[in-house]
Formats: sequence, C-alpha cells, structure tokens
Amino acid sequence: MELDDLKGTWKNESELTKLNADIMEIIQHKTYGPLAAMKRVFKRQIVLMATIPLLLIATNANDVHAVFTSVMFWTYVVFCMCVVSFAYKSYRIVQHMELMEPVKGALARQIDLLEKRKRWELAGLRVGLLTFVALTEIVPYFQHYRMLDYWHSLPPALRLSAYLALFAMQYFMNRKIARRNIGVHLDYLRRLMNEFDEN
Amino acid sequence: MERTFERQIKEHEAMLHKLCRIYATPDERQDLFQDIVIQLWKAYPRFRGQSQFSTWLYRIAINTALTGLRKKKLPVTIIASTELPEQAYDSNMDEEENVRQMYSAIGRLNDVEKAIVMLYLEDRPYREMEEILGINEGALRVKMVRIKDKLRGLTKNG
Repeated sequence: MELDDLKGTWKNESELTKLNADIMEIIQHKTYGPLAAMKRVFKRQIVLMATIPLLLIATNANDVHAVFTSVMFWTYVVFCMCVVSFAYKSYRIVQHMELMEPVKGALARQIDLLEKRKRWELAGLRVGLLTFVALTEIVPYFQHYRMLDYWHSLPPALRLSAYLALFAMQYFMNRKIARRNIGVHLDYLRRLMNEFDEN
Repeated sequence: MERTFERQIKEHEAMLHKLCRIYATPDERQDLFQDIVIQLWKAYPRFRGQSQFSTWLYRIAINTALTGLRKKKLPVTIIASTELPEQAYDSNMDEEENVRQMYSAIGRLNDVEKAIVMLYLEDRPYREMEEILGINEGALRVKMVRIKDKLRGLTKNG
C-alpha cells in the first residue's frame, strides 16, 4: 500500500468520527504545555525573589534600622531585583511567544530564548556568588564588626577552602538544576530542529 | 467571539483528533486535544486573517503537538487496528491489514515527518505546508519523496 492510497481512508475518518468535545468547557481549563510550565517557573522565581528581602526585614523586625543600614541587605535586594527583572523579562517573552508563526521559526525562537536564559542564569549566579564572597570578606571591616570575631578569625586557608567548596557546589547544583528546568526540554527542541534540517 | 470560535473549531475537530492520534498515546490524546484547543483560544484574538484559518490552526496545533508531549513520549506511536475507521473493516482483510501496516509505519516516522504526512493526507498544497511548517516547498517535495520511500520500506518489513 502506498501513502496516497491511505488518503481515502484518512478523509473518510472525518465523516465517520463522531465527536462531542465541549469546546466551551475546555477553554476554561489551564494549559499544562511546556510554555505554561516555563511561565510557572518564572512566576515562582519572581514571587520567591520578591519575598526574600521582606522575610529578612520581618525576621529582623526588632532592629529594622540595622537591616536598612546594612550593605549586605542592600546588596541582596539589588541581587533579588536583578533576578526578578530577568525572570519578568523571560516571562513576557514566553507570554508573547507566538505559536502562530511557522513551526520551524517558533522552534528556533524557543531554542534561542532557552539558550540565552541558561547562559545568563549561570553567569548571573556566578557573579552573585562572587559578590557575596567579596562582601563577606570586605564588609566586616566597615560594618558588622562582630563577624571579625567569628568567620574572619578562622585561618585564611580554611576560609578559602570553604569558598572553593561553595563555588564547586554551586557549579554542580546549577548544572543539575539548569538541566532539570531547561536542559531536557532544550535537548528535545534541538532534536526536533535537527529533524527539520535533515534530508 | 466564543461562539464563532466554537463553530470554527467544530469544523476542524476531526482533523485535530487525527493529529492527536498521530502524536499521542491513547492516554495522552485527550490532554493534547485540550491543550491544542486552549492554545488556539488564547491565540484567537490575535488572528487577523492574514492567512487562512486552517493554516493558522495547523500551525498552532502542530506547534503544540510537537513541543507539548516531551515528557511521556514513546519512541514509537503505533495506531492499533481497533482504532482504524469503520470503513477499513468493511473492506477485505488484506486491505485492512495494509491500512494497519501503513498507520503503524507512520507511527515510526520522526515528529517532523509525521507532520508532513498529516498535512499531505489532509490534501494541503505544498505552498500551504510551507506556510505552516516553515520548510520551503522544494525541500518539502524532497522530504515527501524520502518519506514515501521510508514508508514503503517500513510496510514491506512489517
């Protein structure tokens, strides 16, 4: 049998299939597709990052002045705001991602967005950690003097080892998280793109 | 707007179900159908009639089918003989077996090839297939020849 011979059977199916899907009911549901999943991840990030500074204030409610004059706190606020704006930008891109455009173009746009996001996320987290380490080392000489009696009283070699361990842990954790959140989907999209390009 | 949308979807509902059958396992079909309809509804206000309604609908449906089922995807989607249209049973047994084999072979194609085959079976002209998939007409014709060869091989080998 040739593919063309199947056309008749294929067409007759339209006439034979009795369908009673309630379209009006279906459109009230939420979508669980990958774009919706990505939007949920970005939304979660926005909420989480916007909540953390508030939590810090709440846990130090007895000395709010100290929180507001803390360099560490404001650095953290800036970091959270960067993550929030990045997540919001990604959310808007996904929201406007047109499934209406030709399939190959839509795939290419999704791949591009996810690759960029993955790169920026990894770079942002590394810079964030570096800043945190630098501030931990420098700030106690100007503020939070008590830290000099604790963390800074440890031998430099030990502190350096701890930082290196932190970087190593971040490296592996990030790879694992990025793989789980984006990587698997990205690999699948790339495979689809290859199917488009192969002859 | 809702009523117009419902009417237009109803007109293409059979095609959407056939697409779901090609791309999804029996358990996933209802979810995929639902997801496609939701995506169509969300995009509907932005449909300005620059292309035919069917072209717009195929794009969204195929986009959703291709990217929407990555988690539970099976390597091969085989359409069981019990799912074949009634007409296949009315014909002789050889014909029925041939149709079953052909559907089974289509299930073994990759996702992009399945989309091309579906549009071909829907009798969409190559120009419209190009608009839907974003593959140029020449490349589509070449792909179609190769797909037919592949299907021939697959049906011969069972």
